[in-house]
Amino acid sequence: MKKLDLKVKDYPELAVSWEKTLINKTGTWRTFYPKYFPKTPPCNYYCPANENIQKYIALTLKGALEEAYLTILEKNPFPSITGRVCYHPCETGCNRSNFDESIAIHMIERFLGDYGLNFVEPKRKSEKIDNNKKVAIIGSGPSGLSCAYYLLLNGIKVTILEREEDAGGILFYGIPSYRLPKEILKSEIEKLTKRGAKFIFKKELGKDFSLVDLTKEYDAVFLAIGAQIEQELGIPNEEAKGVLMGLDFLKEVNLKRKIKNFGKNVLVIGGGNTAIDCARVALRKGAKVKIIYRRTKEEMPAVKEEVEEAIKEGVEIIFLTAPVKIIKNKRGEVRGLECVKMKLSGEVDETGRRKPVPIRNSNFIIKGDTIIKAIGERVDLSILPKEIIGKKTIFADEYGKTNMEKVFAGGDCVTGPKTVVEAIAYGRKSAYLILHYLKNYEIPKKESFNLVSYENLNLYYFEKQKRIEENKLPINKRKRNFKEIITAVSDQEIRYEASRCFSCGVCNNCDNCYVFCPDLAILKKNGEYEILYDYCKGCGVCAHECPRNVISMFFEEEK
Amino acid sequence: MVEIRFHGRGGQGAVIASEILASALFKEGYYCQTFPEFGVERRGAPVQAFLRFDKKPIVIRYKVYHPDHIIILDSVLLNQINVTDGLKPYGTILINTNKEISFYSSFFSNYKVAVCDATQIALKYGLGTKTAPIINTAMLGAFVRIHSFVSLDSVLESIKEYVEVKQEENILACREAYEKVRFES
Amino acid sequence: MKESLIYGKKKVVTGNHAVSYGVLLSKAEVIAAYPITPQTQIVELLSEFCASGLLKAKFIKVESEHSAMAACVGAAATGCRTFTATSAHGLALMHEMLHWAVGGRLPIVLANVNRAMGPGWSVWTDQNDSLSQRDVGFVQFYCESNQEVLDTTIQAFKIAETCLIPVMLVLDAFVLSHTSEPVDIPYQEDVDKFLPPYKPKYFLDVNDPRAFGGLTSPDHYYEIRYKIEEAHRKALKVSEEVDNEFYQIFGRKYGVVESYQCEDAKLILVTSGTITGTARQVIDEERSKGKRVGLLKIRLFRPSPISQIKEILTKAEKVAVIDRNISFGHSGIFCQEIKSILYNEIRRPMVFGFVIGLGGRDVVPDDIREIIDFTYKADYPEEMVYFRGVRL
Repeated sequence: MKKLDLKVKDYPELAVSWEKTLINKTGTWRTFYPKYFPKTPPCNYYCPANENIQKYIALTLKGALEEAYLTILEKNPFPSITGRVCYHPCETGCNRSNFDESIAIHMIERFLGDYGLNFVEPKRKSEKIDNNKKVAIIGSGPSGLSCAYYLLLNGIKVTILEREEDAGGILFYGIPSYRLPKEILKSEIEKLTKRGAKFIFKKELGKDFSLVDLTKEYDAVFLAIGAQIEQELGIPNEEAKGVLMGLDFLKEVNLKRKIKNFGKNVLVIGGGNTAIDCARVALRKGAKVKIIYRRTKEEMPAVKEEVEEAIKEGVEIIFLTAPVKIIKNKRGEVRGLECVKMKLSGEVDETGRRKPVPIRNSNFIIKGDTIIKAIGERVDLSILPKEIIGKKTIFADEYGKTNMEKVFAGGDCVTGPKTVVEAIAYGRKSAYLILHYLKNYEIPKKESFNLVSYENLNLYYFEKQKRIEENKLPINKRKRNFKEIITAVSDQEIRYEASRCFSCGVCNNCDNCYVFCPDLAILKKNGEYEILYDYCKGCGVCAHECPRNVISMFFEEEK
Repeated sequence: MVEIRFHGRGGQGAVIASEILASALFKEGYYCQTFPEFGVERRGAPVQAFLRFDKKPIVIRYKVYHPDHIIILDSVLLNQINVTDGLKPYGTILINTNKEISFYSSFFSNYKVAVCDATQIALKYGLGTKTAPIINTAMLGAFVRIHSFVSLDSVLESIKEYVEVKQEENILACREAYEKVRFES
Repeated sequence: MKESLIYGKKKVVTGNHAVSYGVLLSKAEVIAAYPITPQTQIVELLSEFCASGLLKAKFIKVESEHSAMAACVGAAATGCRTFTATSAHGLALMHEMLHWAVGGRLPIVLANVNRAMGPGWSVWTDQNDSLSQRDVGFVQFYCESNQEVLDTTIQAFKIAETCLIPVMLVLDAFVLSHTSEPVDIPYQEDVDKFLPPYKPKYFLDVNDPRAFGGLTSPDHYYEIRYKIEEAHRKALKVSEEVDNEFYQIFGRKYGVVESYQCEDAKLILVTSGTITGTARQVIDEERSKGKRVGLLKIRLFRPSPISQIKEILTKAEKVAVIDRNISFGHSGIFCQEIKSILYNEIRRPMVFGFVIGLGGRDVVPDDIREIIDFTYKADYPEEMVYFRGVRL
């Protein structure tokens, strides 16, 4: 616009634009356009139950604790349990771990779980049960309970058959109460009884009833029998007095029974969570404990924190050592274990770890009077019909569909020994397949994940902040008791921890885009942002300045 | 035109005293101009304030070099600075002191001396603190009595306008000094 | 402070507070100021007025004078009546923003206490701070008394808003700023009558969004700059009109320049600021001795009252310009101005330039008498500038 015919009198007093600035639709200059494109935070992705962790942390920060609690329950009915026992892969995946320390998600989950039990559950209403549809669940471990919860939530009548005299399966009989107090487990199970779940105890599949019986009586059956059989060592003298099965030992202790042939020097064989639990429980029963493991600390499948705690409490771990033979006396009582030294070879086994091989002529004897076998569990296939058995476990798809009409299965009995949270996730998925089967519910769509990586965050907006620490019972107060080791933290600490969350991929209305847009092309409306594409030049400043990678740029041509 | 010079210390209220006096004079029909010593002020350091008044408008804008009268708010200053610098002969020196006129008359033979124990009066009425009494309003009472430029009432009225705390006590102090000042007539 | 003690009273107040009362009466809406040295009691009292609610203005404390003027520019651009005050180095720091105020045609009023520039550090008066800002395009008034300070403050808003040009009023440090004298404080309703609320011609309006102060190409810049020159020419006329209008309501007027005893004067002194007062007395004395001397007080420095100055000075034989400032390597700034105004006149007096009283050195009647005597006796100004009172 030259306007060279203009005279002084034609001009305004100051340099002001001839036209309204709105006339200049700078949106036409754009090559790339920005879009609010929420993404998956790694915590949600790495959680086996795909809990919406970012969301409940944000709600916790706002003080909306009830809403936060109910958010967890959409994917996991028992946050008080998982907050205590889950090995929290969410924290391993947390982007903050690259920055300073990951968010203590399990502590937040536990806090919310306990808050829910105390303040939300008492006022929650139960759903109406439709008596026409009945489902039997075999086994009251984590997957059974989880499946039951989501069925009850949708009005299905549920009967749970349990061979033991208390509900919980591995949660009750396997996990020691210093990790998961019995009263917490009871309160969580009340969520089911309150909703009308019927428990039938001391009924065992294959002994008291058969699968076929149940399919006649019920509209559907969910098999959740877990992996309960301790694997044999396959070495001489396993029958000696004083050789115990890991899970059996834990069960006896949990039932507060006196354990036969339990001595003062205990040798635990294995490197998984069961082995660690057995060792720490044995310690509390007044024994000296040694763990014998054939690889190194690095390869131990047990949760790192648990291993460290065990060592702190006084458990000795003998690495790169494998049992060769149990030594017994004339009376058939265990007196020791002959072992061989191992080394890690270059070869990698099916678990991805280096394979241990024995060192020739390195045999030695470890003295002991009790041996606990904890090298892994397997599924008891002997009580199941052949048609649903796969390789080593029940054969089912990821929603628990088996080859038998009306029969569904989930948890460790399908996957082999895994974790509590994976069993819970399986139970929930199966519940939705059963609902689909019985009531033609839509199966929840497979979630798609668009993960936010650490590199895509704008770290300029974050400051280093220390992660909260757990309050732990001092070592000297753990002797000869099963008191919970980790005690509760305060409301303020939880809020602080929640405030550390990056909120990866999820807008938390920080206003950076709104503030930084050089063309004022972002508006705020009812707490949401709107991009004025007429004026957005596609400069990408909003996407760059978004600390949490919510805004993405796309090629204009592909719009 | 009459020119007055105040000698005091930072914090004693010399500047305010000159402003109160200016305001009172103004009420009685004088033109006036008052200003502190130009520069930076510090508590405790010797300070001066100046006052000019006249029946005609005052147009000049420079310092007072030859005052007609001086007012000394702190008698210790007499040992430290030449307070009579530029003072016109037969000018009055009003001193805040507990001593008698005779004590000073030999030093100031060319001038008239007036004395008033304003410190005592200020303490009596609780003005300022025990270690730093504010004696300016008392000194004004004394000044009004020894010169007949302005009435006590106008000064009291101006005190009400300029002094926001302990107004009544300041007025009483001013009145008492008016009564108690001693001077050579 | 009790309202009954303010409006419609004659009060003994300092020059600083005379500005504050002027701003109070002018009902400024935004005051932005840096609150510490070299700030003065001007904004101290204004902040009290704002805190007590007597003045309904937004008081913005900022971290520098540059920001103070920037805040004023922003506020004025929204159509507010805006004020700030500063002094010496504070004004120097504002320099860039002064251009913004002028180019943005924002009617901001700025009170500057004339203080010497450091180092050596000084808190005393001279005019080099404000004269250093001569060419930014602010209107500049130099005041002689506290009454004039108050009255000029009120007039400044009217001139600024009529011509869309910012106005600086200047008062000498200490000699006015800290000197108390009786000042007639007008009634609010009279000021309201004189100075109605500001109705901006241009302002930032979300309903009519426009770019202000944007890139201006060589094809347009010159015309818009010429408009500022037009505004200054208008401001000269408006200043006189406003002064007359002020006189109608308040009974006081100052003129853009004041000629004192100049009618038949052979020698005319040219002064500004407070030296004028002392000079008046000397002129009276000299007149009584029969000397034909007069005095021209420059009140409005920019826009320059060229024809008024010409009319008065061309009748004299000699002119002595007294400058409390210096343009190093040349002469006093008022002297340069006077010379340039007179140069093309066929009948023009000889102009003698005197620099005096830098850094607040007192200017007494003897100084002025000596200047008069010297100029009387001299045949021709052999020096570009004479330095009075410097110990050579």
